[in-house]
Amino acid sequence: MGSDMRTPSDSPPRPPLYVRWILRLLLNRDDRHMVTSDLSELYEHRRARDGDRAAAAWLRRQLASYPYRLLADRLRRAAPSPARYVRTGEPDSNRAGESVRNLFRDLRHSVRSLVRTPALSATIVATVGLGIGATAAIFSVINAVLLQPLPYSNPSQLVRIYTDAPPNRWGLSVADYLALDEQQTSFSHIAGYTNSTITFNRGDHAERVRGKFVTWTYFPLLGISPLRGRSFSESDGVPGTEPRVVVSHGFASRHLDGIDAAIGKTVRFDGRAYTVIGVLPRTVGPFEQDRAFFAAAQWEAPPRRGPFFIVALGRLRSDSELSVAAEELRVINRRIFPIWQDTYQDEKASWGMMDLKEVVVGDVGTTLVIVLGAVAFLLIIASTNAANLLLARATQRSRELAVRAALGASRARLLQHLLVESGLLAVGGAILGLAVTVGGIELFTTVGADFIPRTREIGLNGPVLWFLTALTAASVLLFGLIPSLHGSKSRFDRALRSGGRSSTDAAGPAGPRRLRRALVVSQFAVAAPLLIGAGLLIGSLANLGRVDPGFDSHNILTAGISLPAANYSAPSDVAAFWSEATSRIRALPGVEAVAVASGRPPNQFRHTNDFVLEDKPTPPGASPPAVPFLSVTPDYFDALGIPVIQGRVFTDRDDFAGPDVAIVDETWARRFFPNESAVGRRFYEGGCTPATCSPVTVVGVVGDVTYTGLENPGEGTVYQPMLRGIFLERSGYVFVRTPTDAMTVLPSVRNVVRELDPTLPLSSVATIDERLADSLDTPRYLTILVSAFAAVALALSIIGIYGVMSNFVQRHARDIGIRIALGGTPSNVLHMIVRQGMQLVVVGMIAGIAAALILTRFMSSLLFEVGATDVLTFASVAALMLGVALVACFVPALRAAGVDPVRTLREE
Amino acid sequence: MPREMLGEFEHQVLLAILRLGGEAYSVSVVLELEERTGREISQAAVFIVLRRLEEKRLLTSRMDNMVEETGRVRRYFKPTSDALRRLKESRRTLDRLWEGLDATLEQA
Repeated sequence: MGSDMRTPSDSPPRPPLYVRWILRLLLNRDDRHMVTSDLSELYEHRRARDGDRAAAAWLRRQLASYPYRLLADRLRRAAPSPARYVRTGEPDSNRAGESVRNLFRDLRHSVRSLVRTPALSATIVATVGLGIGATAAIFSVINAVLLQPLPYSNPSQLVRIYTDAPPNRWGLSVADYLALDEQQTSFSHIAGYTNSTITFNRGDHAERVRGKFVTWTYFPLLGISPLRGRSFSESDGVPGTEPRVVVSHGFASRHLDGIDAAIGKTVRFDGRAYTVIGVLPRTVGPFEQDRAFFAAAQWEAPPRRGPFFIVALGRLRSDSELSVAAEELRVINRRIFPIWQDTYQDEKASWGMMDLKEVVVGDVGTTLVIVLGAVAFLLIIASTNAANLLLARATQRSRELAVRAALGASRARLLQHLLVESGLLAVGGAILGLAVTVGGIELFTTVGADFIPRTREIGLNGPVLWFLTALTAASVLLFGLIPSLHGSKSRFDRALRSGGRSSTDAAGPAGPRRLRRALVVSQFAVAAPLLIGAGLLIGSLANLGRVDPGFDSHNILTAGISLPAANYSAPSDVAAFWSEATSRIRALPGVEAVAVASGRPPNQFRHTNDFVLEDKPTPPGASPPAVPFLSVTPDYFDALGIPVIQGRVFTDRDDFAGPDVAIVDETWARRFFPNESAVGRRFYEGGCTPATCSPVTVVGVVGDVTYTGLENPGEGTVYQPMLRGIFLERSGYVFVRTPTDAMTVLPSVRNVVRELDPTLPLSSVATIDERLADSLDTPRYLTILVSAFAAVALALSIIGIYGVMSNFVQRHARDIGIRIALGGTPSNVLHMIVRQGMQLVVVGMIAGIAAALILTRFMSSLLFEVGATDVLTFASVAALMLGVALVACFVPALRAAGVDPVRTLREE
Repeated sequence: MPREMLGEFEHQVLLAILRLGGEAYSVSVVLELEERTGREISQAAVFIVLRRLEEKRLLTSRMDNMVEETGRVRRYFKPTSDALRRLKESRRTLDRLWEGLDATLEQA
């Protein structure tokens, strides 16, 4: 073995990534090869002489010095050396080389001058970077949610079909679905599903999981193929067939020992055994997102038209037209109407369809566009602010530029220099912007997942990066080009003559001054709508917070319990469970009252039902009224503290055997019986006629409680006894009232339920106060977001006006001095300066308020009991802006008033 | 005619090459300089100066691809006649400046 035998450990350590990168950038291949070869030879020499450690340390020092030395050399070479001209006698090799050298020189010069003014540079980079980043982050959401087609095959053919009974829209019934599937010709597929949350049991572990019951056509319609196993066949949907289920990738990995082992396994959902026949891919569309299971729906042929619980989807044939398909839906609906007239009388209701994307996006679209508008405004303000700052600097530097021009620099050269400077700032802004975008996307996909659909599809992808690039380019143009053009155009001779000092006719070129003022005006014009928008949202949120929930919401614990149909098939089993559970919980120490209901304030209810009043039948051609129906136990009103206005509440005798009774709320009573008592009135529930059912009698009127959300004025609620309603309530919320903190009784409530049935989990445990607060999360986040933007916009505008006025005072110090010397009082001066500044503010604000009058109309759907042109908000915002701007003008004005005439004049 | 003076390090590198027999590659220059000056020499600095001197037409170079087996590349540099003249000039200038200063320095 000779000494030149090399083992891998002999070769020097690889240079760090950044060194390799810089070597690659600054050296050609041959040089690079030579440098690394030399380094490794020297390294071996050192190793032999000084040992491994010393050699490694030496190599680190050498490598560390490389980037710096190469860069320094590159910059030195960029500057043309006068000696070279003399020596070679040629002007210079080529023009391209010269402009590259010019660029490098500009870069060096710019870096130096930007570093000399760190506050200015940092302000510009930070504001522009934040603006770019925030705008791009919001755009990433809009791109994923609104712009990208749904991630299904040929998504433009997909529609949702619904029952259209203005003002309500609801699903289809089993009868509807079967008729539609059989008779339609416009669609290549029809599918239906219902969302469901069921209890998954594994050993003694029970968990609530979300999923869907789907028709066998669901996966083929959306174009989804399982990753493992198969999807459903037609026979899987036939009632009585062995229940089959397709599960999500996550569910199979977590609970079924992986996607391969899952196929053929049996899982117990709500006590019923399902065979797993397929596993979905990891990436799924918005309809499958966060759903663990897709079970084959087995719908029995119905005895009546309702209830309408199926979400129906359709895929249009490629050759069918929308209008033809829509007409066909109406025709089929009319055709089946007579068949079910006994159980469904709303002749006006028909079927309609809407683009599936609309279903997914919902009303988030408006919010997103408003937020994007807000950040875009912010970016404009940030850029104009940067333009303003740079413009101020360009004006101050007019002498420097004039000297360069006098020495022969062309206008293009000066322009290039100034553009390089703003380009550098923009690159800084873009880097910061990228970081903000990445952070924003992270935030939206985690925290935002509760409010925003399709979050799985949000990411830093091509469109977002293009948008980021375009934003950067646009802001460079805005804050770079304007000041640069002005900077390079200034009157050099005059700038030189004036010696850079202030004097009336050489107070800087008039162009930039006008431009700076225009920029300040536009900043206020843009900040005003933002502030007004924020003001309206704040007012709306405050109104929502003040909404009286209609009952004493403190110290109430609630939790959901769902009884599996397999174990609780008979109504008597269900009744026994609820009554046993309530009486055992009531016996717990620290419990004042217990109740069960099928809904939960402020925004949860399960059924909307229509009905026909006995005294006031629905006029022909009109849809019967429909309101939320809740099933409650007798103690419900007492436990929640809902006042009984008239009549009685339910008793234990209102059960299966008793007559049909109902309690209505005040709104219902006022709506249908404005000047009379509602107690004793009778109505037929939806789907009933005097021939088929007995009427329901109203026995009491209670105070209003909202189940449709605090922001929605209720249209009335009907309560029915838990064990008497049209639906057998296997799922309900338990309400436990305690004298103090309600959460303290949670463990004992859990124990009671576990004793009764160990397979039952408690779901969505919360106090009512928490539910009330959570229900305002979405408007609260929107308000915080827009207010934050508005605050930044105001701050930037204030900086803008302050800068302009300070500059004004500085430039006019001599005039002010003369004025004071000639007998002007400081208060004269103060007035003059403040008036100057406030003129700009007022002009900008008027434009902004005019814009707001138009723009806020678009957000009226988000406002609660606040008009889009609320005078108080507009006036408060105007007062706020005027007040703050006044202070911003006052500070420089005070400085002006304090000018010592003797000193300023002596300086001349 | 104004002429750019040789920088100190350029001067040293040229002398090192001459000491190494009039032709040398960068590793040997680094080692020679380290031996003569007693300081650690940055390989990057030597590389950059060699490249600069070549651009100034004070050095010529040739590749030596002896090294197929070891994977090494060596570029040998040789001062041009212009370089030798400049070295002599520098030396003369410095010598003239040094004349009669020995005593002064001894006292310091």
